[in-house]
Amino acid sequence: MSDHTVKAYDKELEQIGLKIAEMGGIAEKMLVDAMGALSTQNAELAARTVSCDPKLDKLQREVEEAAILTIARRQPVAGDLREIVGAIRTASDLERVGDLAKNIAKRAIKVISDARVPRATVGLKHMGDLAAIQLKDVLDAYSSRDAVRAKAVWMRDAEIDALEDSVFRDQLTFMMEDPRNITYCTHLLFCSKNIERIGDHATNIAETIHYLVTGENLPIERPRTPEKFTS
Amino acid sequence: MNPIYASRRRKDIIIRGLCVAAAAFGIGWLTLILGSLLWNGLSSLGLNVFTQMTPPPGVKDGGLLNAIVGSLIMTVIGVAIGAPLGMFAGTYLAEYGRHDKLSSVIRFINDILLSAPSIIIGLFIYGAVVVPMGGFSAFAGSLALAVIVIPVVVRTTEDMLALVPTALREAASALGLPRAYVITRIAYKAARAGLITGILLATARVAGETAPLLFTALSNQFWSVDLTKTMANLPVTINNFVNNPDPNWKSLAWAGALLITLSVLTLNIVARYVGAERTPK
Amino acid sequence: MSGTDSVTLSEGAGSMVNHPVKLAVKNLDFFYGQTRALKGINLSLYKNIVTAFIGPSGCGKSTLLRVLNRMYDLYPAQRATGEVLLDGQNVLDPKLDLNLLRARVGMVFQKPTPFPMTIYDNIAFGIKLYEKLPKSEMDGRVEQALKGAALWNEVKDKLNASGLSLSGGQQQRLCIARTVAIKPEVILFDEPCSALDPISTAKVEELIDELKSQYTIAIVTHNMQQAARVSQFTAFMYLGDLVEFDETNKIFTKPSKKQTQEYITGRFG
Repeated sequence: MSDHTVKAYDKELEQIGLKIAEMGGIAEKMLVDAMGALSTQNAELAARTVSCDPKLDKLQREVEEAAILTIARRQPVAGDLREIVGAIRTASDLERVGDLAKNIAKRAIKVISDARVPRATVGLKHMGDLAAIQLKDVLDAYSSRDAVRAKAVWMRDAEIDALEDSVFRDQLTFMMEDPRNITYCTHLLFCSKNIERIGDHATNIAETIHYLVTGENLPIERPRTPEKFTS
Repeated sequence: MNPIYASRRRKDIIIRGLCVAAAAFGIGWLTLILGSLLWNGLSSLGLNVFTQMTPPPGVKDGGLLNAIVGSLIMTVIGVAIGAPLGMFAGTYLAEYGRHDKLSSVIRFINDILLSAPSIIIGLFIYGAVVVPMGGFSAFAGSLALAVIVIPVVVRTTEDMLALVPTALREAASALGLPRAYVITRIAYKAARAGLITGILLATARVAGETAPLLFTALSNQFWSVDLTKTMANLPVTINNFVNNPDPNWKSLAWAGALLITLSVLTLNIVARYVGAERTPK
Repeated sequence: MSGTDSVTLSEGAGSMVNHPVKLAVKNLDFFYGQTRALKGINLSLYKNIVTAFIGPSGCGKSTLLRVLNRMYDLYPAQRATGEVLLDGQNVLDPKLDLNLLRARVGMVFQKPTPFPMTIYDNIAFGIKLYEKLPKSEMDGRVEQALKGAALWNEVKDKLNASGLSLSGGQQQRLCIARTVAIKPEVILFDEPCSALDPISTAKVEELIDELKSQYTIAIVTHNMQQAARVSQFTAFMYLGDLVEFDETNKIFTKPSKKQTQEYITGRFG
């Protein structure tokens, strides 16, 4: 889009975009670090991940404040309006991603002393990697305002959902094998739920990007399980 | 048809008919006057009119040269005296004294002067200038014309300056312009077309005045450019010649009348052209 | 607010900039004949800040602006009491040289008011009042002023055309250039965009935003969105009173007075 006559307006929008990008970077790193801490039993890394969260919360507030001021002062319409609304939605999704990653990190600290079946985290690790890729892709789509790429992310979320099912079954098996695994595996179950939600937030952001770029909403019902997972 | 509507239509036709008739009546007379003027004037208009002096009675030939020049001289001097005075007074009314009590008094008196019969102005100059100076003079005639010019120019100047938007004056003042600059550099410039039009119309008005000159410049039959003596001029010459049975004089009177009419017409057209060029918004 | 000597505002990217008071209005009353149009106004215009005045018609916002450069002096039976301090000097002092005051406090009006002369002369005219410049230097100043008003590119090939031949928006920018040309310290805008289309309005608003880096700016507008867009401080006035005076960001997101809230949200009266 070409520039506004009033340059300060462009600057405000640019500032908001930069803040979203910064949030994205932090959220992505938190997810990767939390998963790393979980699979390598690294308590220090987990603690560092937890301490990142307040920064993300602060940035989200800043984005919201800047967006509100821009709405109040510039009366954005059309593409500008979608841009601002999109920024608010994306910031809140990223903030939630941070919360969920923090939760995984906290659980990682709790289960370090009790890591009874390290192979139990393998499926989870795979899920986490997928979620991280989704997050990275959706953030790239955001910064390049790429609706096609966003829609691809939106479609791929079904893979994470399918993985979650399989992780769930794995954990059940471990728990049935040995009841002493129950605490550990329950934590891991929560972690898998968290990752699944992070995937959902990535999907939300993808929907937001699609709306922001095209002005159209993606359909409410996503094909939940693509053919290759049904069989 | 609806009876109310029918009666409305009838009324409309009657009123419109009356208006057209009145207009035709007025324009008809005007056309007759102009027609006879052109008919008689054009047939008497020859080169001799511009090259020869007014003839004594009974003499063939002769022209209006001295009268034309005399009229030009007195009109120019009259306007040269009257226009600046009128502009200054009009400027006072429009700019400095807009809210004064004095202004409304001046404006009222000026309006009376504007509609005062010109013969009264002639008598006034006769009493004020001709008698003390001991004789008729072209100068006195010019003064009488100036007195006629003043109220016209006062009025047009004030009206034209009043049309200059207040915002323009405020904008000029906001740049730190002193009042006199605001008026001379901005208001006059914005109202220029109107001001020139006013002066041209005043000139046209005095070009054909007879009455004030009768008591002041009188007229003569000779070439004279001496301001302290009587001076020939078209209106008075026409007045003298037209009452004479001599057909040559009558014919010259027609030629003079046509000349005055044409010059007034020209001035009016020029005034219209200038006025339309850039009127203040 | 009027008690402070300066304000500190964040200018994006976290940098804070301090703005001293340029013009302080203290206990200002204004009368049209017997009518009291301004009632004990206290506020400050800060340096390099755009201050907007909003409020319903007849609230006194234009009147206040016209006190700041003594424009009201052109008319009889109008008088102001109190103090208006421009860098500490009282503007209302009857001994003050009005022409010099107006050279320091420029004004741009609601209707574009180009003078009936060429574009070049419109600018040069004001400069000639204060400075005697050789032609080449004058050319430079005219160019600089027109560039300052973002008009140069549009008129550089027709500097000898009449100022009246420009479009409304261009005329208004010409008027701004004319004001800027005489290097004022404060510029007052009296509803500068109310006669302009949205595109021209945006251009003038951008211009105001650029001008604030060099001047102290006050703008009266009955378009409160415009106040939100261009100003850093906003004063809301009603019936001759200053109801609220605060940072624009605050006024338009969480005004502290109920009247302000009602006015800016369109629930007034």
